[in-house]
Amino acid sequence: MSVMRLPSGVYHETYVQDHAWWQTRFVWVRMLILFLLLFVGIPGLGNLYIVSVANIVGYTILSALGVQLLIGFAGQVTLGHAAFIAVGAYTSAIAMLQFNIPYPVSLILAALFAGVWSVLFGLPSARVKGFYLIMTTMAAQFITVDFVIAQYVSRIGGRGHYFSLPPGTISVGPWVIDSELSTYYLMLILVIGSILFMGNLLRTRIGRAWIAIRDNDIAAEVLGVNIVRYKLLAYFVAGVLAGLAGAFWITSLYFVSPEHFQWSWSLWLVGVILIGGVGSIYGVIYGAMFMTLVPEALKALLFLLTQSPELVALFPFIPQLLDKFLFVKEATFGLAIVLFLLYEPKGLAYRWWQIKNYIHLWPFSY
Amino acid sequence: MPELDDGVQLSVDNLHMSFGGVAALRGVSIQVRQGEIFSIIGPNGAGKTVLLNCISGLYRPQRGKILFEGKDITHLRPYQRARLGLSRSFQKIELFRGMTVLDNIRLGRHIHMRAGLLDGGIYLGGAAREEIQNRDFIEREIVDLLEIAHIRNKVVGMLPYGLQKRVELARALALQPKILLLDEPMAGLNLEEVEDMARFILDANEDKKWLVTGVLVEHDMGVVMDISHHVAVLNFGEKIAEGAPEEIQRDERVHEAYLGEKEELYVTRR
Ligand SMILES: Nc1ncnc2c1ncn2[C@@H]1O[C@H](COP(=O)(O)OP(=O)(O)OP(=O)(O)O)[C@@H](O)[C@H]1O
Ligand SMILES: [Mg+2]
Repeated sequence: MSVMRLPSGVYHETYVQDHAWWQTRFVWVRMLILFLLLFVGIPGLGNLYIVSVANIVGYTILSALGVQLLIGFAGQVTLGHAAFIAVGAYTSAIAMLQFNIPYPVSLILAALFAGVWSVLFGLPSARVKGFYLIMTTMAAQFITVDFVIAQYVSRIGGRGHYFSLPPGTISVGPWVIDSELSTYYLMLILVIGSILFMGNLLRTRIGRAWIAIRDNDIAAEVLGVNIVRYKLLAYFVAGVLAGLAGAFWITSLYFVSPEHFQWSWSLWLVGVILIGGVGSIYGVIYGAMFMTLVPEALKALLFLLTQSPELVALFPFIPQLLDKFLFVKEATFGLAIVLFLLYEPKGLAYRWWQIKNYIHLWPFSY
Repeated sequence: MPELDDGVQLSVDNLHMSFGGVAALRGVSIQVRQGEIFSIIGPNGAGKTVLLNCISGLYRPQRGKILFEGKDITHLRPYQRARLGLSRSFQKIELFRGMTVLDNIRLGRHIHMRAGLLDGGIYLGGAAREEIQNRDFIEREIVDLLEIAHIRNKVVGMLPYGLQKRVELARALALQPKILLLDEPMAGLNLEEVEDMARFILDANEDKKWLVTGVLVEHDMGVVMDISHHVAVLNFGEKIAEGAPEEIQRDERVHEAYLGEKEELYVTRR
């Protein structure tokens, strides 16, 4: 194959190289360090608190990937994504508890079932856009979680309102997942796998068709893209990812309950991609880290403040804030999202990209 | 000029299309033969764009039939017509402005690609190979032909208007269509760009690798008279004349339709 010239002055022998994700040795080394950090470094600290926070970040990434796919790449809306996460969690739990199906198989069932459930609620996207579609996705939340699951599914097997998951229920072959650390490794596998899967899809005809529908659906259709099919495919994949997220999350729960998948979680996930950056996989990662780490830091700060009697005497509301932390957390994020929309509408991913370019071009920046 | 095949490839039969009270097409029929460049001219608001939109499936005519290679396509969706071999560009550029030139053209390859969810997501074997093959096709056939190698990685929205027009032609050609519908490809271009564009259209029409039939809506009479085999004239939603370019230039009715714009039939219009 002939040598092809790139404007940046970098030469690639083949298109294979030009299409590769990690094109330079430098990037390969950086990714290797990242993987070592994730698989060896963080667990090596031996700090279970850090591992548990990492698990929440991972769960948030898994949950928000589908939201990013729908909103950020396919240009559809979703305000009820927690519904499909719930479907995944319950499918996996029921498969294991009722039918003694091994956890890995239940993961696949959860993904498929949540995918199909999501397509069901994506069907109206063939006909309606905007406001009515928003209403449909909200209906997905309330019909699925507050009606079907709370009223009917929760009764399956006469286990009462909660599906309790005794330690040792969940295992992959001989590997029992019953600790923060084992959950952490499972999380890494699922998160990395899902990100690779989605990133790959985005560089094939399927991902391009989604982005085309988002940007200009008339042009997309004239180019031969079956719009309805690809919209439903987007709902399916988003549902699959949500199902995985749900089936993963039960590994860190003692019981499954509708309370874990409330509407606030659906909204939270939209916040994750708004803050992280719409239309970027990095946006999901940055958003999930930001939305998890900042409240944890805030909580730690409040806790430190309550340790000082003088401060508490001065500001008697501080212990109350800690008591009502959920409220503090949500209020802070309402504010953060508004501020981001006003001052950083492209999200953290874009700002990071700018900083990287700045460093890259230094000292010739601007 | 090459010998024209006698076979009619696209046949539009008695199309009626109105928007509320406004009749945009009133019984228009045209027959486009395989291998020719068929131009549609007419004053502003004559219904040329509406006709193209009906052919590509964006509008549903209230009456009439559209046959492509003998098959009735009147009720097919636009994406189905694209798969049969119809491709087009737009009067008002409809590119994906946030994507690179290459990605825009890749979307033109959509109908020739197969990757599914699983192999696409894993990106091994078929899906990866297909990306390479199509990249190769784009580089060899499209990028070279349209001379856009220098901008292939540029974001389309940042390009000057003339190049955007060219990218739109590139994307339309990437489908390897049988018929290319072009809605005013010269509009807004400078003299040099018009010459380039005319050459590209002729290349696609005459080059043995392509042999694409062209349906061209255009105001630039110089170009129309130069490169068309056949010209139809629309006015107020009706076809008022049809024939070889020389016949159209002499036609009285055409001059009347262009009343006040008479001289423009002979000089290139900007
Ligand atoms: N979507 C629409 N809704 C209502 N009226 C329309 C629509 N599209 C076109 N028309 C009307 O149909 C008539 C023909 O329009 P068309 O765009 O086909 O003209 P044209 O021949 O392409 O003109 P131009 O040379 O200016 O592009 C015009 O009167 C126009 O206002
Ligand atoms: Mg027009």
